[in-house]
Amino acid sequence: MPEMSAVIQVELPSGDKLAIIRRRFGRPGPDVPRVCIVAGIRGDAPEGVRVAHQVAKVLEECEDRLTGVVDVYPCANPLGAHQGTRMWPFFDVDLNRRFPGKETGHQPDRVAHALCSDIRGATQVIELRGAREAFSEVIHAQVRERDTAAAQLAMGANVSLVWARKPGPAATQTFAHQFPGTIVLEGGTGNRLNAAVGQDLQEGVIHLLTQVGVLAEVDLPFHWAALNRPTVVSDAQVFRVRAERSGLFLPEFEVWSEVEVGASLGHVIDSENGAVLETILSPTKGRVMAVREHPVVYVGTMVARVVSL
Amino acid sequence: MSVIFSIDAPYRGQYELHRLTYGSGGPSVAIVAGLHGNELNGIHAVNMLNKMLRAQRPKGTVHLFPLVNTFGADQATKRWPYDDQDINHAFPGDPDGSVVQRIAHALFESTDAEVCIDVHSGAPHVREIPQVRAPMGGDELELARAMKLPVVWRRPGIRLEPTGLIGAWRAAGRKALHMVGGRGITLDNRHATTMANGLFNLLGHLGVCGQMGSGMDTLADVTHADVEAHRASCGGFFVAEVRVGDPVQPGHLLGYIQSPIGGERLDEVRAGRPGIVMTVRAYPMVHAQELLVRVAGTP
Repeated sequence: MPEMSAVIQVELPSGDKLAIIRRRFGRPGPDVPRVCIVAGIRGDAPEGVRVAHQVAKVLEECEDRLTGVVDVYPCANPLGAHQGTRMWPFFDVDLNRRFPGKETGHQPDRVAHALCSDIRGATQVIELRGAREAFSEVIHAQVRERDTAAAQLAMGANVSLVWARKPGPAATQTFAHQFPGTIVLEGGTGNRLNAAVGQDLQEGVIHLLTQVGVLAEVDLPFHWAALNRPTVVSDAQVFRVRAERSGLFLPEFEVWSEVEVGASLGHVIDSENGAVLETILSPTKGRVMAVREHPVVYVGTMVARVVSL
Repeated sequence: MSVIFSIDAPYRGQYELHRLTYGSGGPSVAIVAGLHGNELNGIHAVNMLNKMLRAQRPKGTVHLFPLVNTFGADQATKRWPYDDQDINHAFPGDPDGSVVQRIAHALFESTDAEVCIDVHSGAPHVREIPQVRAPMGGDELELARAMKLPVVWRRPGIRLEPTGLIGAWRAAGRKALHMVGGRGITLDNRHATTMANGLFNLLGHLGVCGQMGSGMDTLADVTHADVEAHRASCGGFFVAEVRVGDPVQPGHLLGYIQSPIGGERLDEVRAGRPGIVMTVRAYPMVHAQELLVRVAGTP
């Protein structure tokens, strides 16, 4: 049976206890690879949490054949998940801006610190997310720019795209930044579950486990030939498309549709009379990586992301 | 009064960033409040300063931005409510970016002054004595002391995050100070008045306005090492026994934590040094390790 333990247990003012759970599969030992899978850092991404549980279920069935350790942390922000909010409630902070955390800090800081302490030394870290709130996103992996080893590994994650991203201004405070080589898997729709997306992500994670040597390929519950073959893209190939009028965004394309340069991606319509205020055009030939689902937009709101392939 | 930036808002009127300007030429001062929509003391303090300035002929330029995040203030939220983004994490901004980046850019560009002050309240769950947070030395510390606020808190590297307004101002070579007082979501009129007087004192020090002689005195001029921070040893219901500004001696009962069900006393918090109470927890439900009381040490 897998070992279940609390990475940290925090006390709520009411006296209730809140535990951040780790499920460990396999037996640790010297020179044994360890993969850590973390989900639910933001409470509005239930897809990642569900995939973590699905992966754990697969691991339960093949634990005796694991050649390494897999630690699954299904939900790092359970209070946020309870409310479906991105932030850690009450403190109203983004847990993904609190890493590496602080042992003597407030509750989210201590959770961040405990997670980092527990994961330190892992062979490979995988962060599972859903799509960002208000968006549908293609299933993709994110790795750090110039980390060719992580990009190569992420090619086997059953994603449509591997995005090698330049770190942003807040990167040092994110979970993924704490562990070089981390692969972040995203996809689906914010605060929603999608069976097909979940299945793809689950198969991607399981396949990654074979790539890092904790699971034999013969134990894959599917054939590797069925996996997606992604391409690696850089920031220069990813175009953020923004509205230049405020109103309601009406998309004309679905995620991963092919578009030509200048093709209409959708319209911004007047929220008071329905008149078309703006037609939003694709800046490049490529595919639609992300589409805004929540219709209310301001000037400057990102409505789509298009990748040039 | 001028509108320096506006943006259409679906289902409601335009967002407008307002600036009130007095005088012309140097020295120039920009004072910003309401970056966080639920921090009302700064808004009130700047509007009180506005009334004071109406009776003056400033020798220099004073730009006032009493309320940046009007939409947040309408909804009592700290962040810009549409996409829950903190404007104070969007500097120096981007004229082609998201809405908060555009607001941040417009504000940053229009606060091109020699001295810049960002005025805040405490968070909604704590009450802060009116204070100015400044670097450890230099011109900015001198300006901070000229405010004569109850507490001057010298902090190394204070607010130098490149995405914060203070950090962006400093990176652009502007002298920048961070003022805090009272509690979020609440109007503390007494504290707001003190903050307004502090701003006026600063303008007097710079020669922009006449000296007011407000009778204010700094009670504590401290570094981080002089500030005693008491944190909760356990979760529970915190009952404060002091108010901000109270003088305390070692052993003084600052408050206690009790069980929220039954009221059993779980821990007591006592001062370890003489000083002035500068921060008090206002929302009583506390988690372990949360800040309860800060005491600014006095000699």
